[in-house]
Amino acid sequence: MTELDRDEFTAGYLIEADEHVRSAIANLLTLEQALRSGSPQHRHIRELFRSLHTLKGLSAMVGVDPIVDIAHEMETILRDAERGSTKLTVEAVEVLLEGIRAIELRTSAFAQKQAIPVAPTHLLEALAALQTSQGSARTLATSAGADKDSLVLDAQLLAKLSPPELEQLMASIAAGKHAWRIDFHPSPERSAAGFTISTVRERLSEIGEIVKVLPLSVPRDANAPGGLVFALLVLSEAPPAQLASASGTDASKLTPIALSRAAVSSDASERGSYESDPDDLVQGNRGVIRVELSRLDDALDKLAALVVTRFKLANCVNELRDRGVDVRELTTIAGEVHRQLRDLRRAITRSRMVSVGELLERVPLIVRAMSRSTGKQVRLSVDAGKAELDKAVAERVFPAIVHLVRNAVDHAIETPEERVRLGKAPEGTITVTCFEHSDAQLELRISDDGRGIDAAAISRRAGREVPTDERGILELITMPGLSTLDVATSTSGRGMGMDIVRRIAVDMLGGDLTLQTTPGRGTTFTMRLPLSISILDSFSFVCGTQAFAVPVAIVDEIIDLTLEHVVVPPAPVARARAGHTRQLAARLLKRRGEVIPLFELASLLQLEAADPARCKAFIVRSHGQPFAFSIDRVLGQQEIVVRPIEDPLVRVRGVAGTTDLGDGRPTLVLDLVGLSSVASAGAMA
Amino acid sequence: MKGGLLHVLFKVADTDYAVRASDVLHMESYNGATKVPGTQSHVTGLMQIRQRVVPIIDLRTRFGLPAEARTIDSRVVVVQWSGRVVGLLVDSAREVMELGGDAFSAPPDVITQRAHGFVAALAQAGTRLVMLIDLGKIIGEEALNGE
Amino acid sequence: MLKILVVDDSKVMREMIIACLRGVPGLEFSQAASGLEAIERLSLGGFDLVFLDLNMPDIGGFEVVEFVRSQDTLKALPIIVVTTRGEESTRTRALQLGASRFMTKPFQPDAVVAELRSLLHDRLQDHVQDRLTEVP
Repeated sequence: MTELDRDEFTAGYLIEADEHVRSAIANLLTLEQALRSGSPQHRHIRELFRSLHTLKGLSAMVGVDPIVDIAHEMETILRDAERGSTKLTVEAVEVLLEGIRAIELRTSAFAQKQAIPVAPTHLLEALAALQTSQGSARTLATSAGADKDSLVLDAQLLAKLSPPELEQLMASIAAGKHAWRIDFHPSPERSAAGFTISTVRERLSEIGEIVKVLPLSVPRDANAPGGLVFALLVLSEAPPAQLASASGTDASKLTPIALSRAAVSSDASERGSYESDPDDLVQGNRGVIRVELSRLDDALDKLAALVVTRFKLANCVNELRDRGVDVRELTTIAGEVHRQLRDLRRAITRSRMVSVGELLERVPLIVRAMSRSTGKQVRLSVDAGKAELDKAVAERVFPAIVHLVRNAVDHAIETPEERVRLGKAPEGTITVTCFEHSDAQLELRISDDGRGIDAAAISRRAGREVPTDERGILELITMPGLSTLDVATSTSGRGMGMDIVRRIAVDMLGGDLTLQTTPGRGTTFTMRLPLSISILDSFSFVCGTQAFAVPVAIVDEIIDLTLEHVVVPPAPVARARAGHTRQLAARLLKRRGEVIPLFELASLLQLEAADPARCKAFIVRSHGQPFAFSIDRVLGQQEIVVRPIEDPLVRVRGVAGTTDLGDGRPTLVLDLVGLSSVASAGAMA
Repeated sequence: MKGGLLHVLFKVADTDYAVRASDVLHMESYNGATKVPGTQSHVTGLMQIRQRVVPIIDLRTRFGLPAEARTIDSRVVVVQWSGRVVGLLVDSAREVMELGGDAFSAPPDVITQRAHGFVAALAQAGTRLVMLIDLGKIIGEEALNGE
Repeated sequence: MLKILVVDDSKVMREMIIACLRGVPGLEFSQAASGLEAIERLSLGGFDLVFLDLNMPDIGGFEVVEFVRSQDTLKALPIIVVTTRGEESTRTRALQLGASRFMTKPFQPDAVVAELRSLLHDRLQDHVQDRLTEVP
């Protein structure tokens, strides 16, 4: 083979390049903050250098030369900054961000097999200019005076620690934290038992912070067959027994590290050189791999086929039972299959989860850009904790989040002058938080400390009554066609209206949207989202000769319809509309002292009117109100894979998605809650 | 004409139409579609085609022609456009032809008007007149995620 | 079989190196994603050659070379270090510390095969040797 087949590695390259780009952006943003607040920056600079260096190498291998050029310039700047020979400034960060964007543009072009634009001259010049700028030539982290305290640690180890690492250890111990030296001897037996340097690092990172890992030569013996021991320097409050078991050793291999108040200090220049690829503060290797989403989708599709097959199996077993065959053992086995499928489904669905923090990575960039173009000072605070969302939900909700944040910067946050006049801090704050609300739902909050919503003004503009409560305000601002301002601002432009935010959160994802606002103080939007939209427990049923499915979760009850409980109200109900005669506000159902509107599902779905003696009905609740839908008969209950409706041609209220009940045709999954709104609107219009 | 692009030819009500082969994913026979209530009249419904759930547009209805029964010749031409996958239900689709750029000419105004812009260009293929369709106009131009 | 360890924190980079050597029979590949892992695997023995990326997070490539050469059993282990263009000082330093060969990205499969061959020539299978000499 004379040349590498680049296509083979494109996917892998893009995945890794994307990771490095995202990491670089996050580091640049944090670096900018650190520069402003005077916090330590070294780690970020080092990580940035590494990201760019790796990007350069990978891009060289797959032949994307423009990226190599840009990355090379950026890497040079970062290497100098890391060594301390130049100092980074906020303006430099700006240019570096532009560099990353230029790289990202080109990885996209590469992904889409388009021509890669040559590196822009002005960018390269700007980057080169940063390299020659003089900063105060300082070496990193020299403690000015002699260290009064020093670490009680092997000189051999001390020599290999960089000043920031020494500082971190000493500062932590001085603050009362516990530091340990843990010796790990790799061996085939320990590997087989699951203890390698990588797994030990992972486990220790979970219960503490690893400052450094140092390999040391030792004489070969039974305990150290490799002639090697790793000395891990760890900060942790965990008890020694736990530290020992995490590293697969016993307490004899642990040594606490203390400070001695000796007057001796080691000269900074004797410290081991760390210019070349300095050891990083070891971050726990989380054992993460990136999986292409299409592979997970593929797995889910295969799982869907399994679910359908199991359903057919269950049907067969039932038929056999009806014929008098003893199916007890079969039933037990079928039950096991059912449980195993359910567990498998959970495992696959879990692997599709993305962390909300990752999802929101881009938002600070957006706020930063908007803050500049609007001249407002805005701070974004994101707190997503460990919350995770199914990727399909995440992709759909992201534009809604972006719109709400943009709206906040555009309309809610006042200019610095106005804020000062109002007695507020000149910098506005937008907070995005996310936490698990219940077993199947996530709560996402976007709040600002801006103007609040002036319901009176909006209702005037919309020609509607002033709403009396916050639900009313939400209805008002999510009216389709209502622009948030008469004059389109340059940043939000034509973007989505609030009605689309609601359509995404509520209709498309089956979630909930509420708001809370105080004029003059700020507004909070709260979205409740289902954690996953993939697999549902559902009832399948027939209505007007067509089969449908509906999620079990939304059905309060399935009842038998008996005519004596049905009341026909005296008002005219048949409405002729474009040739169709529909019975919308058909009847009322008496049940346990309640009176519930009863709709014919067949009519609502515009199916041929069939047997009027519909004998069953589903009762669902919408906004606390019960509704009943009459159907022909229930087919069964099963787990289904719901595929959301993607194409606008078939996106209608009342249809949540499609599934396959086993016949190879799409079966509609109905959103009866949504239909109830349609139905009652039609009934009242 | 040599040196042109490959096009798939299909018929709707005895009229020849063409679509670029590079836009066509596959062709399927038609066995009915799941109707979706509340959609526009030219949206026949949904079909499951090779692991995908695809909306089907009846081109007869889209072109404003009276509906007719399907025959065994009826085909669904599955196309992709702007990230969307949609099926076009046609009377028959049997030919593939190379049509060069110079084979196409702009349609006269009267055609464009009557065809609501569905026809992007006209081509002469031998003695036949073939109309190149504008997928965007036929499928509708709403973006996938929003207004 | 000759055991080769490929060390780079980028998975796609490791795969590319292995792909370069696809045509050479008699090779068995292991991978490590960090310098520490590399030191661990090499110390426990059994490898005939290692490809080592110099740019890795936890412990730099130089340190790995340094450490490996300090171990008696590994003094003679062939080490090919891999780095990105534009670092001449790196090359010198790596060779001073004891690296056997030096490769710069981007590289072609021919180059990788050639380096491997030059280090392992007397241990590669004969017919492979012959086939390689046939390459024009």
